[in-house]
Amino acid sequence: MPLTETLAQQGYELVLDRVLIDAPTLQARVAELGAQISADYAGKTPLLVCILRGGVMFLSDLSRALTIPHHLDFMAVSSYGVGARLTRGSPRITLDLNTDVRGRHVLIVEDIVDSGHTLDHVLRLLQAREPASLRVCTLLDKPSRREVYVPIAYRGFEIPDEFVFGYGLDLDEYFRNLPFIGVVKKEYQ
Amino acid sequence: MSELQRSAPFVQPSEKRLPNGLRLLIDEATLAARVREIAAQINTDYADKDLLLVGILRGGFVFLADLIRHLTVACTLDFMCVTSYEPGARSSNRSPRILLDLREDILGKHVLLVEDIVDSGYTFDHLLQLLRTREPASLKVCALLSKPARREVPVPIDYLGFEIPDLFVCGYGIDADERYRNLPYVAAL
Repeated sequence: MPLTETLAQQGYELVLDRVLIDAPTLQARVAELGAQISADYAGKTPLLVCILRGGVMFLSDLSRALTIPHHLDFMAVSSYGVGARLTRGSPRITLDLNTDVRGRHVLIVEDIVDSGHTLDHVLRLLQAREPASLRVCTLLDKPSRREVYVPIAYRGFEIPDEFVFGYGLDLDEYFRNLPFIGVVKKEYQ
Repeated sequence: MSELQRSAPFVQPSEKRLPNGLRLLIDEATLAARVREIAAQINTDYADKDLLLVGILRGGFVFLADLIRHLTVACTLDFMCVTSYEPGARSSNRSPRILLDLREDILGKHVLLVEDIVDSGYTFDHLLQLLRTREPASLKVCALLSKPARREVPVPIDYLGFEIPDLFVCGYGIDADERYRNLPYVAAL
């Protein structure tokens, strides 16, 4: 059943089946990713592109874990309408980049890669603008859900096909603010 | 004036320069403690209310990401991206353009705008006027930093982190020509 305002006000405990990745584990992994990216892009100034809205928590921590100079920009992509949970159809770009990516080292920062459709579209769009390089960093990867191949250069965690929320990921728009990743109880999926 | 605005400390930069040439304004621990205080106040004020947090891109996302981690009230998240007021621009050019609007209607909702810094107040004043026409149940402003010396239009800041002098600042999501955004502290150039 969808989460109503009244239910959400009772707190996340109501809908939490179990914690999948706790806050310290998340932070430790983000630090590792930051170190790896800093090493790989040493001497370069990559442009981190965050796909709204889920990626913001991850981006804010990843950016601070980088030791190299880098730029940030945001894209908003709307593909499936408010409230829908399926990821199908061509996404519309509702907020485009503020930066010209030609000749830049672009790293897309995502919260989760699921079917891969949205990311595939974004990758093809950005590739057409001729960046020097174009890679993907995702916090979570659900390979069992993949319908389109997308290359992932940096992956925080591979997770099973479970309905997850927290740390940027929403449950009917709620609970993006949780500092951990949880699995939603069956009755609220 | 709200209690949090009244109690917002006025901070001055350190005399000594950091190794990167910047002068420290607010260190990481002080930022974290203040963010927690603001979150606690929001938790009290919005208990049993449905809160919509609106992050103003591109600067405010680090503050927003840290603030929401400490929120226990039910909240949803949205973003707006506006062109900021250019200090050199004349009066005809003072209205910010909306590059990314909210996804959902805010009629009857409790809306809290989250921004990194309030400067002249023009951008915020316009945003508040625009959003008021959509008739939210309440509309408040939360800002990490305020430069009262720069204010040309009064803006009611309901939750304020720190008052700062009229200096170019960077770090904690705020960039100086896209540099220094990832610093975990706030510094003056």
